[in-house]
Amino acid sequence: MLRFATFRFAVLAIMASAVIAPIGLIIYQSFLDGPFFTPNVKWTLEAYQFVIEDDEFWDALRTSIIVAGGMTAIAVPLGVILAFLLARTDVPGKWILEPLVLVPIFMSAVVLAFGYVVALGPVGIFSTFVKGMIGTVPWSIYSVTAITIIAGLTHVPHVYLYTSAALQNLGADLEEAARTTGASPLRVAVTVSLPMVTPAVLYAAVLIFFLGFELFGLPLVLGDPKGVLVLATYLYKLTNKLGVPSYQLMAVVVVAIILIAIPLVYLQRLLLSQSNKYVSVRGKAAKRAPLRLGALRWPAFGLIILWFVVTVGIPVFGILLRSFVTTWGEGVRLSEVLTLSHYRDLVDYPNAMHAIVNTILIGVIGGGLAVACYTAVSLAMHRWRSGWTRLADYLVMIPRAMPGLVAGLAMLWLFLFLPPLQPLRATLFSVWLAYTIVWLAYGTRLVAGTMLQIGPELEEAGRSVGATAGRVARDVTVPLARSGMIAAWVLIFLIFAREYSTGIYLLGPGTEVIGSLMVSLWGTGAIDLVSALAVINIVIISVGLGLALRLGVRLHG
Amino acid sequence: MKLALPLASGLALVMTAGLAAAQVPAGYPADYAQTIEAAKKEGKVVVYGTTDAAAANFLVKDFEALYGLKVEYNDLNSTELYNRFIAEAAAGQGTADVTWSSAQDLQIKLANDGYAAAYKTPEAAAIPSWANYKDTAYGVTYEPVAIVYNKRLVPEGDVPKTHADLLKLLQTKTDAYKGKVTAYDPERSGVGYLFFTQDDLAFKQAWDLFKAMGKAEMKLYTSAGAMIERVTSGEHTIGYGVFGSYALSRSKKDANIGIVLPKDYTLIASRVAFLSNKAKNPNAGKLFLDYMLSKRGQTIIANQAELYSLRDDVQGEATVAKVKEQVGDAIRPIKIDADLSANLDTIKRLKFIKQWQAAMKGN
Repeated sequence: MLRFATFRFAVLAIMASAVIAPIGLIIYQSFLDGPFFTPNVKWTLEAYQFVIEDDEFWDALRTSIIVAGGMTAIAVPLGVILAFLLARTDVPGKWILEPLVLVPIFMSAVVLAFGYVVALGPVGIFSTFVKGMIGTVPWSIYSVTAITIIAGLTHVPHVYLYTSAALQNLGADLEEAARTTGASPLRVAVTVSLPMVTPAVLYAAVLIFFLGFELFGLPLVLGDPKGVLVLATYLYKLTNKLGVPSYQLMAVVVVAIILIAIPLVYLQRLLLSQSNKYVSVRGKAAKRAPLRLGALRWPAFGLIILWFVVTVGIPVFGILLRSFVTTWGEGVRLSEVLTLSHYRDLVDYPNAMHAIVNTILIGVIGGGLAVACYTAVSLAMHRWRSGWTRLADYLVMIPRAMPGLVAGLAMLWLFLFLPPLQPLRATLFSVWLAYTIVWLAYGTRLVAGTMLQIGPELEEAGRSVGATAGRVARDVTVPLARSGMIAAWVLIFLIFAREYSTGIYLLGPGTEVIGSLMVSLWGTGAIDLVSALAVINIVIISVGLGLALRLGVRLHG
Repeated sequence: MKLALPLASGLALVMTAGLAAAQVPAGYPADYAQTIEAAKKEGKVVVYGTTDAAAANFLVKDFEALYGLKVEYNDLNSTELYNRFIAEAAAGQGTADVTWSSAQDLQIKLANDGYAAAYKTPEAAAIPSWANYKDTAYGVTYEPVAIVYNKRLVPEGDVPKTHADLLKLLQTKTDAYKGKVTAYDPERSGVGYLFFTQDDLAFKQAWDLFKAMGKAEMKLYTSAGAMIERVTSGEHTIGYGVFGSYALSRSKKDANIGIVLPKDYTLIASRVAFLSNKAKNPNAGKLFLDYMLSKRGQTIIANQAELYSLRDDVQGEATVAKVKEQVGDAIRPIKIDADLSANLDTIKRLKFIKQWQAAMKGN
């Protein structure tokens, strides 16, 4: 008992310091009149005054709330439906749908948004086609509404993964029982399955809402032409507005996002206060058979395909097309501009191959190590009624309050100004640590959500035969949460493979990743190379995902 | 003489025995051999640059072949470069030996704030005086700020040849070009701010032009990529204030992009480089800076990296001569001097932006 308590405290202490260090630095910075590392820096509230008096801040905050709320309202129901269909029913074509559903996660938001511009923008391929028929383009992808819808659709996989991981652990006996009494599949879904996976869905909903405040790539590309600002793009604008990057102003915006995060975590804790209500993995195994949808099979299949076509098909088609043409748009006959030269140019591009390998390494190995850390944190907090876990709940969420731009800078500062970390700065470890901290909320919630569903009697059974708390964790809790952990690994792999902004200041020659290459190419106008790189990125990860599934990694029952 | 130096010192002889290429470039002072020796002991040079790795790689490869030194080239955007450099310098943990950035004003600020090491390059005589800031920071390129347009969609008669032409076009065909003009956003992009404030200095009717742009609902972006891509697609048809270097390399791949260097005045932007005074490899840094400014380096800048050479004695495609062929004496280099860092003054900046915002609303 004593030893497990030590483990708990040690893990939480490490986690807390990893979170408090960058956040503390940012909060400290928000009260200064210059970079904290310059001499003669003074305490002041001027930065707060500047931001509060800036109309653009309030506009951006309002837009962020609309976008975050809207995307949650779209992503959560769709994600839950998708998870239920794929994990629980006999919907056709599962083998191909399962990997496809995850595709939007690993697409860089900037690239995805650009794909929409090529496909549905004012002179996009589909837009010009529609314009040719009815004389006008009946939509605009540059509005707040469009950004909200696209953000909602592209965040469906997050909800899907959380929910399907939970469904996987749900004893099928309960659903079977409902079916035998004559309930329809829909009724089973709504009255049995859905309530059982509520913790996972709530976690996901709060996270998606919160991610809405951190949204950057989509509003950057789609909000540009009309000047639509959200908090993260406002922060980006602040960087240049005064000429010299003003860290104190950026820090104030982060503090604002933290202030939004705190009530969200409180809300989440309130909703989950009776978490044993949701226990669903009981001490009795039952063979699981998929629910038969009957006549609804193909409509269900159609629904998933429709979502996929709109969310992934259209933008990927846009990027794919862009990677094979020299130009596009109004008045261009695509058959005359086809080319393979972008891919040939890519082969000659310095470090392109290097970046591809690094991206895979960080995703696969880094992702695995990160999940191990997240599991340790979840275990430490698992079924421990203590004030410390309440505090930890808040701590876990807070790093995500730093948009990638700021998180990257804060991590650079830590590796520069904390002596024990200094020797590690130029290694891939620093990049990994930065990623792991920033995605802490995500990964921990994923693993913890699964653990919550394990019936306490299973763990108590272990204790009653004399096992120590540590042994129970190792031999009961972790094995039962295994499928959730593997799903977490896949998710984290995809996220790490796409992430770059957090590591931008830590990456150097030899440690480039695909994301950072794309950004620098985007800046110089080499969008043909960006699109080719994006296509390769999609192909590699799809193949990797396909292989993982082939080799028996199960994302769902 | 080149052989006499190593002979003078037994130690130096041992050090250079295996390194055949340790030659002092023609016209450099004799003691440059010691700089080369010291650089070889350092073994590498760390460069932070805003030029993308593909373009910079031509220089990196040739420099490595010339001196046998390794170049660690970090490709960052100008804000990242600034953030990373000042933090690393403050921590004393090692940073770039050479920084090379298109944010001219931030580079001058860094030099003024004491981050740069003064160094008079042996190439100084071949560099125009506007590109030499106190023998400390040097302009390396000569990039005309161009107007790009879509050849498919802009009729020949509409293509503006001067700033006044553009003003007239936007005033007379406001509706036809509504939402069709694009530029860097001066609020969100340091480059955009620099270019528009330079227009303000160079062009009497600058504010009329900005207002006309506002009336034509000009769209503003933060990267050349977003602008050029949308001009080629026809979403917008005229891109104002684009680096001629990016436009040139894109126009080679894409016949739809037309480039105009305005004949009344063409701004010349230059990527500014200086040596860090916290450099761990100061001698290798000197070699790299001198190399970039040398005829050999500039020839690569003109013909392979396509960033435009600023030396009169360099031949090729992207050179001073080619720019002058198009616009004659109407060139207006953005002087690399203390005025640039005054650009960063917050009050001045917010005032300009306020006026700009009003102009974008057409008044």
